Amino acid sequence: MKVHSGRSVIKFIILYTVVIILLAWALIPIFWMVQSSFKTQAGMFSLPPKLFFKPTFATYGYMFSARGGFFRFILNSAIAALSSTLVAVILGAAGGFALARGRFKRKKDISFWVISTRMAPIPAVILPLYIMFARIGLLGNIGSLLFAYTTFNLPFALWMMMVFFEDVPVALEEAALIDGCNKFQAFLRISLPTARSGLVATAVLCLMFAWNDFLFASVFSSSNTQTIPVAASLLITQQGIAWGQAMATGTVIITPMLIAGLAVRKYLVRGLSMGAVK
Amino acid sequence: MAAHNPLKSDTTRRGERTEILMFMPSVILLALISIFPLAYIIYISFMDFTISVDSPVFVGLNNWVRVLTDDVFWSSWGRTVLYAGFGLLVEMIVGIGVALVVFQLPKGRNLVLTLWMLPLFVAPVVAGLLGRFLLNSTYGLYAWFLQLLNLKVELLGDVSTAMAAVIAIDVWEWTPLITIIVLAALQSMPQEAVEAADIDGAHYGQKLRLVVLPMVAQPILVALLVRSMDIMRFVDVIKISTEGGPANSTKIVGYRLMEVAFRFQDFGAAAAIGITMLIVTIVLGKLFVRLLMKGGVG
Repeated sequence: MKVHSGRSVIKFIILYTVVIILLAWALIPIFWMVQSSFKTQAGMFSLPPKLFFKPTFATYGYMFSARGGFFRFILNSAIAALSSTLVAVILGAAGGFALARGRFKRKKDISFWVISTRMAPIPAVILPLYIMFARIGLLGNIGSLLFAYTTFNLPFALWMMMVFFEDVPVALEEAALIDGCNKFQAFLRISLPTARSGLVATAVLCLMFAWNDFLFASVFSSSNTQTIPVAASLLITQQGIAWGQAMATGTVIITPMLIAGLAVRKYLVRGLSMGAVK
Repeated sequence: MAAHNPLKSDTTRRGERTEILMFMPSVILLALISIFPLAYIIYISFMDFTISVDSPVFVGLNNWVRVLTDDVFWSSWGRTVLYAGFGLLVEMIVGIGVALVVFQLPKGRNLVLTLWMLPLFVAPVVAGLLGRFLLNSTYGLYAWFLQLLNLKVELLGDVSTAMAAVIAIDVWEWTPLITIIVLAALQSMPQEAVEAADIDGAHYGQKLRLVVLPMVAQPILVALLVRSMDIMRFVDVIKISTEGGPANSTKIVGYRLMEVAFRFQDFGAAAAIGITMLIVTIVLGKLFVRLLMKGGVG
């Protein structure tokens, strides 16, 4: 870039001004939430906003005490999200490999089936599951969440692992076959390790989709199996909203996902475009 | 060709068998989580559950007639089209625009993109809470900004602005998705074509229209389809921020389904609503798969 010419300097200034406005739009809500979670109840509502204040940990202290019960909510969220991720990734890796390598006649139909299962509107999935769970007595059980989250995580993992295995050269497996491996061993020892970063990215996204779910958990969970997004929604009451706790809960919900999401940043485009764009 | 070589044909068949065995567990579970609920929701739409969940009564087309003659059903679909249409329009325009801006940056492209994409990781329930907090007219930060401009309104609580406000929350969360997809496509563009246009003396508008956009058209379409299916999936933000109100002004069809099912306990009617939603998803899914199978994306 020719920084010397006047036009370039103007372009440079305009570009970065636009960037600053865009980033302010994207980040102020998150920043404001995290900041508010460290404010006192009175400080939280004082406007114009103060950038510098004495942080208090009182809200977090209450939430993580026995009365706040947040360890419980986090544990419930983690169990439901991790177990559905585990099921999705194990079955998805095997099935995705088969889809990538096998010459299935109806591959187009299978793809459509997988995609439409992944993309089914959540309210339309909740309804039949709710009645089924009510009849077999699974409502309020953490197993109902495992099942519910698998409805979107399994098709997602299947699809993503198919995409990632299509990138692994078939020659690697053929070499293993010649060395006396059977096809499953070739998958386990050669293809899976080769596609491991794809596997990790898929797992992280499955975890995120399940962790961030609110609607399924709001219908299927009971007070014992409440997940943390449901706990956040219950802070909205007829009497008003406990904003300090709401902001602290929001911070607790997004922090692990920000870290996990940024850790697999390289694969986000692939994951979030259902593998269509590299 | 394999048939001419008995040895090869044998290994192929054995190979296929391994793959079928590896695919089987997924297929069985997938059937359980997709075909079974689908069949079940169709069944529910012909039954009356109001007397007892355990022994529903067959009512024929009654639920369907009630839903299809219900004004709220049609107006909720109308609002869904508005919500999705405006939301997607803004997300596409801003998302592509931001991708072009970030693509122009000589320095700091990665950092800017990383910060810009952070809302993607925010749970919709938190996005809804944040919208409510920031827009609250007595203590919300954004409401305070607006008051400095002499605009004193309860954006989420006013019939004329609530829809725009929930769309803005969706735009805040999901525009970065369009940006990262389009930017990835821009970055994989063959540099020669763009440079050739430079030599020909094309100005930026021409270059964009004639060289750049045709090359990223497919990924843009993918982004649009993925977002259209996803914008139909969620009602979390609306549930948290407006609960469909005020005066039904943000009651999109997904929210209407939840209300009919779990507030009115009218499962049969809710099932019929759900089937209309599934039909739209299925059409979009067909388009998506057709686009992918044509190849050449990415």
